Amino acid sequence: MSPLAHARRVAVWLLATPRRLLGVAGAMAVVVLVGAFLFAWSGAYNVAASTGHFRIVDYFLRFGMENSVKAHAPSISLSEENDEDRVRLGAAHFHAGCAYCHGSPGTPISPVAASMLPPPPDLSDKVGLWRDGELFWIVKHGLKYAGMPGFPSLHRDDEIWAVVAFLRRLPSLDRHGYRALALGEIEPEPQSGAEIATGQTEADAIGACARCHGARRGPPSRLVPILHGQPAAMIENALHAYAAGERDSGVMQTAAADLSNAAVGRLARYYASLPRPVAQAENSEPAASARGEAIARAGIPARGVPSCLGCHSAEAAPEYPRLDGQPARYLEGQLAVWRAGLNDRSTTGKIMAPIARRLGEADARDVAAYFASLAPAPEASR
Amino acid sequence: MRRGAVIPAAMVGLAGLSACSPQSALSPAGDEAERIALLSWSLFAGAAVILSLVLAALGAAIWGPARIRRVLSGDGLIRWGGTVFPVVTLSVLLGYGLWLMRETIAVPTPPELRIDVTGEQWWWRIAYHREGAAPVSEANEIRIPVGRDIEFTLRSNDVIHSFWVPSLGGKLDMIPGRTNRLRLKADRPGVYRGQCAEYCGGPHALMALEIVAVPQAEFDAWLAAADQRGRPAEGRLVRGEQLFLSAGCGACHAVRGTQAAGVVGPDLSRVGGRRFLGAATVPHTPENLAGFIINPQTVKPGALMPPFAIFSAEEISALTSHLGSLR
Repeated sequence: MSPLAHARRVAVWLLATPRRLLGVAGAMAVVVLVGAFLFAWSGAYNVAASTGHFRIVDYFLRFGMENSVKAHAPSISLSEENDEDRVRLGAAHFHAGCAYCHGSPGTPISPVAASMLPPPPDLSDKVGLWRDGELFWIVKHGLKYAGMPGFPSLHRDDEIWAVVAFLRRLPSLDRHGYRALALGEIEPEPQSGAEIATGQTEADAIGACARCHGARRGPPSRLVPILHGQPAAMIENALHAYAAGERDSGVMQTAAADLSNAAVGRLARYYASLPRPVAQAENSEPAASARGEAIARAGIPARGVPSCLGCHSAEAAPEYPRLDGQPARYLEGQLAVWRAGLNDRSTTGKIMAPIARRLGEADARDVAAYFASLAPAPEASR
Repeated sequence: MRRGAVIPAAMVGLAGLSACSPQSALSPAGDEAERIALLSWSLFAGAAVILSLVLAALGAAIWGPARIRRVLSGDGLIRWGGTVFPVVTLSVLLGYGLWLMRETIAVPTPPELRIDVTGEQWWWRIAYHREGAAPVSEANEIRIPVGRDIEFTLRSNDVIHSFWVPSLGGKLDMIPGRTNRLRLKADRPGVYRGQCAEYCGGPHALMALEIVAVPQAEFDAWLAAADQRGRPAEGRLVRGEQLFLSAGCGACHAVRGTQAAGVVGPDLSRVGGRRFLGAATVPHTPENLAGFIINPQTVKPGALMPPFAIFSAEEISALTSHLGSLR
């Protein structure tokens, strides 16, 4: 019998019953697994990023990634286009968290980041290819195998939407426009060779609080609190809580993570000593503001809500923030964070969390409107 | 009837023990509680007699002479002993009970003092009514004058609670949206402990209270002193009061005569004079008070007060001294 005929007879015998067929399939799977293990064990595969992928592999990975994002992303869109508060907050976080790998208008992608596999794209070209929900999903969750990290806090969708709002603005920005948004009032002076060489100043002011919170002026975005004249103990506790992950914020966890205890103390004292920026009190709707004032002064006893001013007045303990003159959007956003059950792990967070959870959405809006309508005391007293 | 009779028998054995407890229906200290105790003892005694008869009949049915067994197995015994006897006995007992408790149901005389008690999760809000003056707020410890008819107005602000001070009277539910009235009297001075007797959520078991019965003169002086408040003289007490206000305690707790006017939590105007903390959960000591402020959950799991772990050791000591001085 010829070898071919012999092989055919064996094959017919093996495939004759479902049971034998299953055995053959199992044996083949074992062979493949053992083969894959031996391949990995041998070290024959070249893991170098510098060699790149075969074009077909690259195409296949991209195909899978794009379909995965489209399948997982929510279908919602940005609630409002050109929301300046969000764009500014998003720009500031982009500068601290994204620009190193993705570059920014006027600053090319760093050669180190560009040597990643896959290389991070210049987002000005790419954001137009995605829907809002898809950008949101990518910023929130990151991309496996691509080196794209997820957002530091997965609970703060409001912050992620701010980044998306900025990304929509990005393609239209030049160097000057980008720096105005991302750096705020910080204007790095042209540096001397010595300063650049010895690192005495930070070229791009990544960690500068004033980019978002202002220093000579107030915060450029109404999603950001005014720190001028707040008690030093409160600022210090907040920074420690962010650094320890006890307060949820991708933006502030990024900013506070690498501050030393001494730096935190100095920063807190600096902002505590600053005079309140001369800002116009917000024009809140009078009815909302009046309802908010009633809650601020007397609470809602029937629902166990104490008066806000019990802890947030000018005479209160230095561990508590002063709320007068803070932007309504910031206050409402923070109350939404508390009401969602977050921020309940720090010492003062444990005090506020149960109280905030008893506030309804409308109550929170009214209280925010009331505090925003108060003109802040101009002097720095603490 | 047979199964029910075992419990009174066990309670008779325990009576000697519980008679000395401050929270026992078997050590009555007021008219209402005495009537309840009398009714209970009548019930126990009758039940004991009936249990003996049933056991005797059982014994006779097993070992007795044929003549008695014939009687026990006849229809007559079932007709008389199983139908007529329970109907008559229970009707008599019901009539006796209604007659005995007639004063609890309808009191002819007006009360000599009215005290509002409102159930809260998980404490008691108290207000003493006065002639020609605002009511006095208190919490968790009720002072009453001995020998006076006192009407407790029982309400609830959240869920159903039940007000029960066994040594002084029966229990009465506190139902949201309803006002129930309970008339109690303490015959002799003493401390009578009460307990929420209707499951009201988490720390229901730690929702207790004390009624402190004192002579009329002492009570009058105590109530009259409610409006008088000396300013703290000692530096530590001043510091404590200032911390109480700056930490926001006053947003939930009231202290008469100060800015603290919160109504969310218990009134602390005279907390220093209370024997217990956390609705009669732990004895009032500076250590327990500090523990409660720093983390109420360690003292009373489920309590609604947030933990205030923001104080230094020196601050917490000043704060507890201040609270202890409020009498």
